[in-house]
Amino acid sequence: MLDQYLPVLMQLSVATGFAVSTLLISVLLGKSAKSNAIKDSAYECGMLPIGDDKPRFSVKFYVIAMLFVIFDIEVVFMYPWAVTFKNFLANGQAAMVFWSMSGFVGILLVAYLYALKKGALSWKS
Amino acid sequence: MPAYYLEILILLLGFTMLGIEAFSSNRSRSGIAVLGISGLFVVLLFLIIAVPSSEVPYDYWGIYHVDKWALFYKAIAILTTLLVLVLAKDFSSAFKKYTSQSNEFSGIGEYYCLPIFVCAGLMWMASAKDLITIFVSLELVTIGFYVLVSFMRRNVGSLEAGVKYLVLGALSTGFLVYGIAWIFGVTGHFDLSGIAEALNSGEIEKKPIIFAFALLMVGLGFKVAAVPFHIWVPDVYQGTSMPITAFLSVGSKAAGFIVLLRVIEPFLNSPLTSSSVILILSFLVCVTLFFGNLVAIKQTNIKRLLAYSSIAHAGFLMMALPAMESGFHSKLIGPSPMESISFYLAGYLLMTMLCFLVITIVSSLTDGENIDDLRGLGARSPLLAFAMLVGVASLAGIPLTVGFFGKFLLFNIAIQYAVFSGSWYIVAFAVLGASAGFYYYFKIIRAMYCGGAEQDGDQLALTISTLSRVVIIVLLAGVILCGVFPKLILGFL
Repeated sequence: MLDQYLPVLMQLSVATGFAVSTLLISVLLGKSAKSNAIKDSAYECGMLPIGDDKPRFSVKFYVIAMLFVIFDIEVVFMYPWAVTFKNFLANGQAAMVFWSMSGFVGILLVAYLYALKKGALSWKS
Repeated sequence: MPAYYLEILILLLGFTMLGIEAFSSNRSRSGIAVLGISGLFVVLLFLIIAVPSSEVPYDYWGIYHVDKWALFYKAIAILTTLLVLVLAKDFSSAFKKYTSQSNEFSGIGEYYCLPIFVCAGLMWMASAKDLITIFVSLELVTIGFYVLVSFMRRNVGSLEAGVKYLVLGALSTGFLVYGIAWIFGVTGHFDLSGIAEALNSGEIEKKPIIFAFALLMVGLGFKVAAVPFHIWVPDVYQGTSMPITAFLSVGSKAAGFIVLLRVIEPFLNSPLTSSSVILILSFLVCVTLFFGNLVAIKQTNIKRLLAYSSIAHAGFLMMALPAMESGFHSKLIGPSPMESISFYLAGYLLMTMLCFLVITIVSSLTDGENIDDLRGLGARSPLLAFAMLVGVASLAGIPLTVGFFGKFLLFNIAIQYAVFSGSWYIVAFAVLGASAGFYYYFKIIRAMYCGGAEQDGDQLALTISTLSRVVIIVLLAGVILCGVFPKLILGFL
């Protein structure tokens, strides 16, 4: 029964092995330099790791993120539509399947024009 | 014209208004409101005239159902939204104080557009006979309301209301989805007719299906403001702007009830679940009637008072639900529970909107929302005071108003059902609630006519726009005429 867990065990050993070996290789091959406080601190995409935990972001980030999610979801819905498109054509439901997607995209298009006109995508205003 | 064009028309109207808001250089936004009001009126005419009777009842792909109930509740949704826009137009002067410091982006245009999209959601709810459609349309409504409730950005009360509505709304949605998942797991169906078949097939277990039903009731109880899922109601009603309070109180409740009626029907008619469902419903009715009416007595803020009154009315409406049980149906004399509830909701629309219209006009001038702020209204503006008098009397259930006849129909069902099943305690709670109602509604009337205005500030002239004046008179006539000739509404059912 336990042999079905063998892949999990392999995954575990590969993961541990990879981490350990990379660290070992970097210690063995890398040039050792003097350490200082900045070098020893955790690397977090260039941001200072210590500071206020609630930095203030411009609200524009959220607007852009929201728009991104909306259009991302639009594409997500297009995939199953595209996959079933041929079946609907074969059943003679071409108009229905075309207009349903047009309606969906149309709604998002109006919303996009609205957002554009309201300056949601202009960073400077 | 097929009935599903109505929602598309509503959506097109909303998009047109949104487009004008974005692209028009005109700073005044009242044109958008006028377009919305007239557009909704045209769609209402289409609903009455253009839907061919050969299509009623009709089922589109199992996800969109048209019958006379669907059309009736669609009409309620459109009428509610239309009146909300009238209210919003009157409220706009008070509204601008709370949205933006400069007048650059007041957001009033969007404030007129969003109710249109909510209206489309309410109309889809009226046609939904499938748990997925119910869920999607319900979310369309709720997400629209999340924005509308917290629309007055500079008002802390409005933001608080928005956060409370968002958190509790998300919680109730969670219960609803979990209930839907359980129902699908037990019965294997999303559509209500399939669920009804599965319930009567004798192949499913009782415990999980009752659990699923209870979860659904939490989600829908939140929508119709039934105790104990009412916690959000007083705070949100008080915090948000007046037109949205009216919209929540009428639109959300009416659409919640049509969904509730459709969802509980298969459960009530199945011998497997019937007794437990009746027990759950009876409990909800009693606590809702008791709590809503008795807590309302203590309120001094008029929006809070109307919030508890809205809970109490949910209690009266739910009183007819247990009577939908199939064994009782043939024994009932008079209109069926479905007809009585629909009549009551239509009347509730007329009288609540009348009250909110008066309060909006008074409070947008004086900024006061307490019962005391209505003092001396009888002398300041006889029309407004009389409209409020009739609205409040109808909410209490005085004869010759539509509220009386609605209560009469519901009591008729409750008493006959009590004779049938022995559930006299429901009638007892309803009598207690109705009599408490007379006390707290009459506090408003006393303030208007017996209070006497003494401060100078109270003497400000009340200006009523022509549109509001016409709407007030129409609603006033509706409340009285439908109370004297109930056929005016019952004829549609």
